Amino acid sequence: MKPFQLVPRTQQSLAAQLLVPVVSIILTLVAGSVMFMLLGKSPPAAFYAFFIEPLTTRYGIGEVLLKMGPLLLIAQGLAIGFRAQVWNIGAEGQLLLGAIVSGAIALQFETSDSAWLLPSMVVGGTLAGAAWAAIAAWLRTSFNANEILVTFMLSSVALQLLYYLVSGPLRDPMGMSFPQSAMFGDAALFEPLVSGTRVNTSLYLALAVTIVAWIFVQRSIPGYKLLVSGLAPQAARYAGFSENRAVWLGLLIGGAAAGMAGVGEVAGPLGLLQRNISPGYGFAAIIVAFLGGLHPIGILFAAFFMALIYVGGDMSLVSVGLPNASTTIFQGMLLVFYLACYLFVNYRLQRRSKKQLISASSGREGSTQ
Amino acid sequence: MIDSLTFLLAGTLAAATPLIFAAMGELVVEKSGVLNLSIEGLMATGAATGFVVATVTGSAVAGFTAAAFASMLLSFVFAALTLGFLANQVAAGLAVGILGLGTSVLIGKQYEGATIKPIANIDLGFLSDLPIIGKTLFGQDPMVYVGIASVVLITWVLNRTKLGLIIRAVGESPKAANSIGYPVILVRFCAIAFGGAMAGIGGAHLTLSYTPLWAEGLVAGRGWIVVALVVFGTWKAPRIALGAYLFGAVSLLELFVQGQGFAIPSQLMSAMPYIITIIILAIISRDARIIKLNHPASLGVPYTSGE
Amino acid sequence: MNFMTRKIKVLFGTIVALALLPLSQAFAADVLKIGYIYPSPAGDVGWAHELDRGRLAIEEAFGDKVESMVVENIPEGPDAARIMNQFAAQGAKMIMLGSFGYMNDGLKLAKRYPDIKIIHASGYKLAENMGNFQTRNYESAYLAGMSAGQITKTNTVGMVAAYAIPEVVGIINAFTLGAQSVNPDATMKVVWLNSWFDPSKAQESARSLIAQKSDVIFSIYQDTPSVVTVAEEEGVYVVNTSSDMKKYAPTKLLVSMQISWADHFVEQTQAVLDGTFKGTAFWGGMADNAVSMESWSDDLSAEQLAALEGKVAEISAGKFHPFTGPIVNQDGDVMIKDGETMADGDLLAINWLVKGVETRLPK
Repeated sequence: MKPFQLVPRTQQSLAAQLLVPVVSIILTLVAGSVMFMLLGKSPPAAFYAFFIEPLTTRYGIGEVLLKMGPLLLIAQGLAIGFRAQVWNIGAEGQLLLGAIVSGAIALQFETSDSAWLLPSMVVGGTLAGAAWAAIAAWLRTSFNANEILVTFMLSSVALQLLYYLVSGPLRDPMGMSFPQSAMFGDAALFEPLVSGTRVNTSLYLALAVTIVAWIFVQRSIPGYKLLVSGLAPQAARYAGFSENRAVWLGLLIGGAAAGMAGVGEVAGPLGLLQRNISPGYGFAAIIVAFLGGLHPIGILFAAFFMALIYVGGDMSLVSVGLPNASTTIFQGMLLVFYLACYLFVNYRLQRRSKKQLISASSGREGSTQ
Repeated sequence: MIDSLTFLLAGTLAAATPLIFAAMGELVVEKSGVLNLSIEGLMATGAATGFVVATVTGSAVAGFTAAAFASMLLSFVFAALTLGFLANQVAAGLAVGILGLGTSVLIGKQYEGATIKPIANIDLGFLSDLPIIGKTLFGQDPMVYVGIASVVLITWVLNRTKLGLIIRAVGESPKAANSIGYPVILVRFCAIAFGGAMAGIGGAHLTLSYTPLWAEGLVAGRGWIVVALVVFGTWKAPRIALGAYLFGAVSLLELFVQGQGFAIPSQLMSAMPYIITIIILAIISRDARIIKLNHPASLGVPYTSGE
Repeated sequence: MNFMTRKIKVLFGTIVALALLPLSQAFAADVLKIGYIYPSPAGDVGWAHELDRGRLAIEEAFGDKVESMVVENIPEGPDAARIMNQFAAQGAKMIMLGSFGYMNDGLKLAKRYPDIKIIHASGYKLAENMGNFQTRNYESAYLAGMSAGQITKTNTVGMVAAYAIPEVVGIINAFTLGAQSVNPDATMKVVWLNSWFDPSKAQESARSLIAQKSDVIFSIYQDTPSVVTVAEEEGVYVVNTSSDMKKYAPTKLLVSMQISWADHFVEQTQAVLDGTFKGTAFWGGMADNAVSMESWSDDLSAEQLAALEGKVAEISAGKFHPFTGPIVNQDGDVMIKDGETMADGDLLAINWLVKGVETRLPK
């Protein structure tokens, strides 16, 4: 019998909710130090490269913001589904579909300088992402097929679709048969936000979606119903909000946001379609969504931090010689510690009273531990 | 023709083996009511560890043992999160999966691209020399048979033993199981550890026999296929094994068809195993009755010891 | 509160100290810093390994006049640009980009930093300060094809290839032409992996090709020895690209199509040091020591070896070009007329397969 016991909180603790990400970041840094020492790197130098160096130059800050855009977008979309217990883990594929469709539009109107080109790419890409996720929603609602597996498998299919298109129908005719498309025209690209950096106006999209997500979650009736359907499916059904609607809504929103992120990538830093479009944003955004407490404002901070890890990871490759995998490990540790700490949002530790302890040691069973 | 058939049949058995090990582990985990999505990371860790240890010691047995042990250690993190910290199982699975993928790269770094002598295939004399079935049934590496044995063993344990009964009881209704004195947390912990070890062995089969080398990204989505297999085998070991063979056959058929020169885009062929998995998943899940009957009722629901 | 502010002050001081750290390093001795980006791990064999041997050649030739910064396993996505910029920020004045997919970002970097010289593997866009380099692997592929044509009993060669890019298509064609020059009945089967790096699938592909009667396997741009070890195990001959893999198939390696960047890298570095660097396209063949045949199999007869060595000499001397007409494509159309030779520009963009290759190009 331990001297402490867990007691469920009657209400989620706001203080704990705010503290949890901070504590899990600190724990990650501590564990990271151990990893750096094992790798024979000095922790201060590694941390400097990872978390501070990116923020010392305008270019570095631009890169962090550039990375933040897609993570923020996708995570906002996913979080809405996650709150309703709809597990879309195939945002990567939905992102690719957004990239493919918006890229196809850009290539179709390569010489256009219409101000409508970019908006139509955004719309097209967003719809494409939603459509890809809709396959999973349909299979779940009509066939009861697990959306975790279907969305993941569809990501692999989307990747092959991209390979096919860039080495066939969408290949640059002047590109020496290399598997990539022609460069998009200027009208198909987002404007740079700050000169000398790659961050572009697509970041506004991500910020706008954040505000919309906040309103949706905090202030709208469908947002509330979606939340309830996740927490208490029975109650939601009673209130006239079926599980199927939650699945559709959760997946469509997630897919749309991921598709939009795909547009931001091809019409932003890439400027063309190629085999490598996303360095795993779709998966990293899952971590961002959780780290942000599935809350639109929390996700904003989480996306920034995750972007910093990405950029810092790349910089430390060069300046400290850390291996590529440290970024992945950081991401994994962050989520592990977060999930562990999250316990204290719903529970609190309570000292067992003397009486309990005595009765437990004399009695036979207390709890299964 | 005979060669092609031998390739497809013998190859299918070999290709399915890593999946079978990991899937048998996942089956036990899910039967106990826990959904572990970290298989991809567990397999990668096992694959890297097994390869490094076998290379250093020169012993495949040491490699498999170390792989099982390393992946089991990693699965303890998952167990701590889901059983101790009552974390969401989907999220915990993803977290540990990512952690495992990263760790595997660090473990295998020094040996990336090196190769190893694969564990030898058994030779039963004239039996192994029979056309087609010789190589398929009597000429595989020993782990292929261990994999098949594990299917038989798991089927027996789950359906015919007290231990199986306890595991299933815990997966069906942890509260009820607890009330009749079964240690729910302990059972689940052991199931997760077992699942981790099996995923590690599956991963090690990739690096010690199948490929046989270690490279980042070697597991290539197999961990997710494993999770799918458990569903489309409707939580029954023999059907899961059948699913693994089917998946192996489809992925080999893809390469075979390419070599035959059919004018099908190779990318479509590369996507085929995933497309077929989705379709079968949909067909099997459609019959809610079958799923309900075999699906562990408490799967994915965190259990608190009722304090 | 007081405690907190003191903590913040300490923290801030640490940050400032750390921020100044790299500055002090920047004033080190006047050496040429060279940044290298590889698309895959440098490993034991393969594409990135050969790039890395080029780096070692530079270090050996210039000693402490150069300093290397190596980053491996960088995908050809938008993140590669950040690594390049980080090299620039760390004071690199020369950058080697190790893969085709870095081209557009490399070009942007070249424009932004005119004083940084860039050499880029296998692209086609040039700038004043950005050149590219490739090997004429079709020369060695032709010779390897000849040996395969000589030694095959089933007249079937199986090829495991990554993607259908012109470089790979050219190699397949040259190999086929070489095989048919000595054995008109030789046919080729190809399996496309649609991945640069998938050892399990490469291994399965090799087995499927062997099952389909191939008794020579051609492993094209596989950065691991997986295909080669399968061939050794199954007892069929194997040819591989980039690196010598004799140690992985001691009895069954037919020949390795070795590439070497040493001469070119050293030359370019010298040009950067001398201030004479100009972005040019380098397409090195046997005559430039960029391509060579390594580890001919002992199973080739003396006459066969003599024929092969004779061809090596002809190609090295520029007397023979593998793509000399008449050459017909899979549909039987004449693509290169009798006596004509394919121009470099066409060869660099080749997207059709010659007659004798059974597999169609993915469209």
